[in-house]
Amino acid sequence: MNLTDAQCDILNTPFNARIFLSGPAGCGKTTVAVERLQALLASGLSANSILILTPQRTLQAPYEAALCLPDIPPGGQVALATIGGLARRTLELFWPLVAENAGFSHPDQPPVFLTLETSQYYMARLVRPLLEQGFFASVTIDRNRLYSQVLDNLNKSASVGFPYTEIGERLSTAWLGEPSQRRIYTDAQECASRFRQYCLTHNLLDFSLQLDLFWNLLWRMPECHAYLTHQYRHLICDNLEEDIPVAHDLLMEWLPAFDSTLLIFDTDAGYRRFLGADPDSAHRLSTLCDTQVELSKSFVTLPEIQALETAFASKLLPERNANIKPGTLIALTYPPTETPTRYYPQMLDWVAGEIQRLVAEEGISPSEIVILAPYFSDALRFSLSNRLEELGIPWRSHRPSRSLRDEPASHCLLTLAELAHPGWDLHPTRFDVAYALLFAIEGMDLVRAQLLAEIIYHQRDLRLSTFDEIRVAVQERITYVFGQHFEALREWIEAYRLKPVPDPLDHFLRRLFGEVLSQKGFGFHRNNDGARTVSSLVESVQKFRQAMEPALVDFQSLGDFGNLELGKEYLSMLQDGVIAAQYVESWQIEPVEAVLLAPAHTFLMMNQPVSIQFWIDAGSTGWWERLFQPLTQPYVLSRSWDRDKAWTDADDLAANQQSLARLIIGLLRRCRSRIYLGLSDLGESGFEQRGPLLKAVWKMQLDIQGKNES
Amino acid sequence: MNTFTPRPAQSQILTYTGGKMGISAVPGSGKTHTLSALAAQLIRSGAVSGEQEVLIVTLVNSAVDNFSSRIKEFLELPMPFGYRVRTLHGLAHDIVREKPSAVGLEERFAILDEREAGSISKESASAWLQAHPGELDGYLLPDMEQGKHDWVHRQLLPDLVTNIALAFIRSAKDNRLTPEKLRHMLNVAPTPLPLAEMGLSIYSDYQRALAYRGAVDFDDLIRLAIDLLENDIEFLERLRYRWPFILEDEAQDSSRLQEQILRLLSGEAGNWVRVGDPNQAIFETFTTASPQHLLDFIHFEASQYNELPDSGRCQPRIIDLANRLIKWVNGEHPESSVRDALTVPFIRPTPADDPQPNPPDDPQGVKLISNKYTPDEEVEAVVKSLDHWLPEHQDATVAVLVPRNQRGADVINALKRRDIDFVELLGSTSSTRIAAARLGDIVGALTDPQSSARLAAAYLAWRREGEEDSNNDFQHQVAGLIRKCGAVETFISPRTGVDWLTGVASENDETVLDELDEFRGLVRRWQGTTLLPVDQMVLTLSQDLFTSPTDLALVHKLALVLRQVSDDHRDWRLPELNGELSLIARNERRFLGFSEDDSGFDPSHHPGKVVVTTMHKAKGLEWDRVYLVSVNNYDFPSGQPNDRYIPEKWFVRDGLNMEAETLSQLEAACATGEFNFYTEGVATQSARLDYVRERLRLLYVGITRARKDLVLTWNTGRTGKQTPAIPFIALQGWWEESRK
Repeated sequence: MNLTDAQCDILNTPFNARIFLSGPAGCGKTTVAVERLQALLASGLSANSILILTPQRTLQAPYEAALCLPDIPPGGQVALATIGGLARRTLELFWPLVAENAGFSHPDQPPVFLTLETSQYYMARLVRPLLEQGFFASVTIDRNRLYSQVLDNLNKSASVGFPYTEIGERLSTAWLGEPSQRRIYTDAQECASRFRQYCLTHNLLDFSLQLDLFWNLLWRMPECHAYLTHQYRHLICDNLEEDIPVAHDLLMEWLPAFDSTLLIFDTDAGYRRFLGADPDSAHRLSTLCDTQVELSKSFVTLPEIQALETAFASKLLPERNANIKPGTLIALTYPPTETPTRYYPQMLDWVAGEIQRLVAEEGISPSEIVILAPYFSDALRFSLSNRLEELGIPWRSHRPSRSLRDEPASHCLLTLAELAHPGWDLHPTRFDVAYALLFAIEGMDLVRAQLLAEIIYHQRDLRLSTFDEIRVAVQERITYVFGQHFEALREWIEAYRLKPVPDPLDHFLRRLFGEVLSQKGFGFHRNNDGARTVSSLVESVQKFRQAMEPALVDFQSLGDFGNLELGKEYLSMLQDGVIAAQYVESWQIEPVEAVLLAPAHTFLMMNQPVSIQFWIDAGSTGWWERLFQPLTQPYVLSRSWDRDKAWTDADDLAANQQSLARLIIGLLRRCRSRIYLGLSDLGESGFEQRGPLLKAVWKMQLDIQGKNES
Repeated sequence: MNTFTPRPAQSQILTYTGGKMGISAVPGSGKTHTLSALAAQLIRSGAVSGEQEVLIVTLVNSAVDNFSSRIKEFLELPMPFGYRVRTLHGLAHDIVREKPSAVGLEERFAILDEREAGSISKESASAWLQAHPGELDGYLLPDMEQGKHDWVHRQLLPDLVTNIALAFIRSAKDNRLTPEKLRHMLNVAPTPLPLAEMGLSIYSDYQRALAYRGAVDFDDLIRLAIDLLENDIEFLERLRYRWPFILEDEAQDSSRLQEQILRLLSGEAGNWVRVGDPNQAIFETFTTASPQHLLDFIHFEASQYNELPDSGRCQPRIIDLANRLIKWVNGEHPESSVRDALTVPFIRPTPADDPQPNPPDDPQGVKLISNKYTPDEEVEAVVKSLDHWLPEHQDATVAVLVPRNQRGADVINALKRRDIDFVELLGSTSSTRIAAARLGDIVGALTDPQSSARLAAAYLAWRREGEEDSNNDFQHQVAGLIRKCGAVETFISPRTGVDWLTGVASENDETVLDELDEFRGLVRRWQGTTLLPVDQMVLTLSQDLFTSPTDLALVHKLALVLRQVSDDHRDWRLPELNGELSLIARNERRFLGFSEDDSGFDPSHHPGKVVVTTMHKAKGLEWDRVYLVSVNNYDFPSGQPNDRYIPEKWFVRDGLNMEAETLSQLEAACATGEFNFYTEGVATQSARLDYVRERLRLLYVGITRARKDLVLTWNTGRTGKQTPAIPFIALQGWWEESRK
């Protein structure tokens, strides 16, 4: 790789140096860090002694790729981690040491690590009865988001490093609105406290408790401290500005113990602020480094894009006023006036057509193109991907186009699970049964599936009659082949129903899939996508069970959960959207050479520059709005916030402007050559849109128009 | 380029540079044009800086586009810069969207439409009725026989209670009363207020249901916007800076709370121009909207007052008739307390040389038909008249204006029978409903895949786009064949050797077979979509159904709405979701589409066709010829002993208006004064008078829609007992007298 002199200097710095490397996105910071990692390994240092820390896993991709290269020396393994991952690993190792000191009721029992979903599940269990008592009466919010915001508060307290008992008070002090509304913070505090207490009683560890224990207890224990400082001798820490203050605190104490460190700081970033990212806190670490290096030249963007960055900054940030010259907007493309774009789908047509033109005529690789929006509704994702498919353009998305709940394959399996477990007392509709048959039997069509379901399925008592009981004329309509397969499925279910103790749901699903549905003549026999969905479903059920099972007996003895059927519980949680709603699956095989569809923030955190970005919904106010959450407030719960101060409109405005400017500058720094603005007169729901991003563009146009006229 | 030459009265308004100004405008006086010109002038003059906007507030969505495009023309800018046109709800939404969490909302809070809000309050009302059986019996006619009593309980009370609840909830929100606050007030009320207790119980239930969905309704938006503005002074100051000028159209229809938003935004010394015609205030029944707000503003608050009395819309005789109505109401209405229902200025024809001259004087143009028709005869007479008139006037525009939607349906049926071309403008627009119906037909076939009748309907829906190219017979032939298919699977998914299509091959020519083959290929694909989430399914189907940009935009919006519905009702499957499509298709769920008639109906685009709409919807529109039907004492009562009032139900004792009585109890609960106690029946009387006033204004609106010809008719109603409306008789007497 060709490195600049500045990069070579960093690479060649001795392996006992502490380097603080800063600069804007696209100036080659990660590139040189990857080179340095390779150099460390090539020098003969043990891979086991190297720790790479990033704020989230996706940012580890360049390092993972480098570690897979053939010229990497064998032996040992570089540790790639996030602070959360590190906390969990260490807790697993040192549990017996920490359990009693932390106040767990059963220190002799192993801990149960909760995922985001299972945490949400427990929170839902605890908060639901409180809602009935009038908690949170004055907020209008989807219940799942209510639970997640209470969890978020706990996570903030652990990430920022203040006692969780202060959450309510901090939020309340900053509140300037209707005074009676303060009650919701008292409620939020109460829920957080009850949740923490519940976790301690039942050996449950959510993210906040893991982090809290790691930082406040484990790190201070000599055994653990010694283990970590001896194990890891070299540290590379990327995107420091996106990490949480407690991670920075840890590094402040840990840094002197490393032989070498390379800390990377992206200026003008801090996109994960709503998750606790704190660039100011990160910057403290520079004082502990003996070498400070700043890179500034972008390897990514063309001068036209850089001009655009200056122009946007001048319109979005009053203090960066700059002269906008004619020609500044050359890298910005709009739908031409002759293209009709009054309506939203017309704009989508234009976007898809333009992408086809870029790929076909300009030879641009689809992987060099992204379509970004502040928010991607399922309908938008589906409409766009459909258009691209029709034009033969491969595409990929930041998440599956359907949640697990909406996947036909999981629908099919879960309906069959309901049929196989009459004890659950769940009675799927005839439609669900027809759809399950449609999917479960290879070659089945909707008419026959429905005909069959109507005859054989008895919703009231869940009875499944046999194919033989059907009149011959109708049997012929359904066909004997389908009848035979239905019989095989029915017999399997009937046999299962006879089992004295039902299998755990994940075991059941695996068996049903392996013994019936994947066999010849059944729906999954040749359906690889369906099989992958099943695998993902099984994994999700299994995680749920594993999180629940160890504590189950205990819960039941406490009378908390009654006779809880985990399988049924999973189904109801899935139905309510508490669990398994949307998350990226490891099984998702995405074509790399594909146009990416993603929300703008997600793209930023992928940190992979492209040639061309389409910003659709450019008129939406979503570009400007931060994440508004009535029960939490990332700025007020941040470390830099003055605890006695109220959150005013000026704070709000400044935060919004900074956030939009940061987003736009971040996007531009990850764009090599051109931005396309997807504009339609009327937005997705048919209303005229004129958000601040669009207004900034107008202002630039007006400036230029004025200059041209003068 | 806009070539607007203002009249003197309009020029006077264009000299405005700041302060509070009230304007009374008569129908057809060009207020939209004048207000747009004023906005453009303020922007051009540099009175707003780069960060600021002239805020134009209108009543309905259809006016937003109209204003936007006119200002754009005046400014000759490619982008809509320097101004913002919003409805009041749109404005409230903008305000709340900036700080949702400050009023307890999350960032993507949902807004329930009227249908969803209606269905929630219906559920709450039913739950209340179940929990309180017999509680309302004291309000029912005491001597009803048991069977009738049961029927009222079963069939009529749920609707009545739902309507009461909707009015109660709206009014409570307009008074900014949360259920908790109201609970407290009722606890300390000196006398029991059972109707208010019922209202509160349903209101609490309704709000819980909203909170559970993370949603607000339209009234919440307004209430929350005001909360926000009052509680966050810095934010208010920022918005005041952003919108240094507020131009408000249709100010006569603003409610108290809506007016309050604008008063807050403009500030004490702000710049606020309010244009309205108090004579056209026709939206205030059971809202706190009142033309009095505008009149008070003009009299007590505005530092400048102007009139726009010149109108080039109607021919002089129609102007005379409208002015006569004002005079008669002011001086001679038999119920003296409603004589303030209409007010001056009188309409004045435009001055000589005006670019918009009035149509020429034609004494034959006004007809007040005194014939005593039954409802059917009246419709028949109107349709017959149209049949006679239309062939000679293919370039002219004409409308039949009805007081209620149901009457519109009667007119449409009669037009259909005579094969007269018409355009329907009732509820959702017909093109929106047609699109929803086509989609519904396809989804219907997927919901019931064994039905050949539904499959045939789906076929016709698929081909309906080509309906106009004379292939109707062919399509009906194909549909007829499909209908005869006994076992649908043998057509759509035949197994080897049993293909229905092969069976019918010998009796049909190749084009029919090709058509059927193409269709079955599509149906197979459509069947695959039933496993998808509803939004993805609808979008996929639409690709085979629609090509026009407005239809496609509509489907995208339908997909979002259906997805929301499906998320709110997780146990719903295709039949229920298809039910929602049917509601839109049947016009029971108001749905704003994208066609021209949704975004601003222009009668001049439909010459030679009969537009059928309500008098309410006709506001702002004009036609060469207008029929006003049902001008009798049922639709236009006058406070006389023999008048009946639609809100008073036959099964309620003492002719009580239950909605009015409930709201009056709500008012009593909020009142602090010693003498503001509740007395049964007073509210019913007062609601009657309000209704009489509103109906007089509705009649005035109807009359002033006509440019050249105006025909008024009446009917004797279902019972045969209705008489012509008293204003009708008065106008007729005056008209005949003046013609002598």
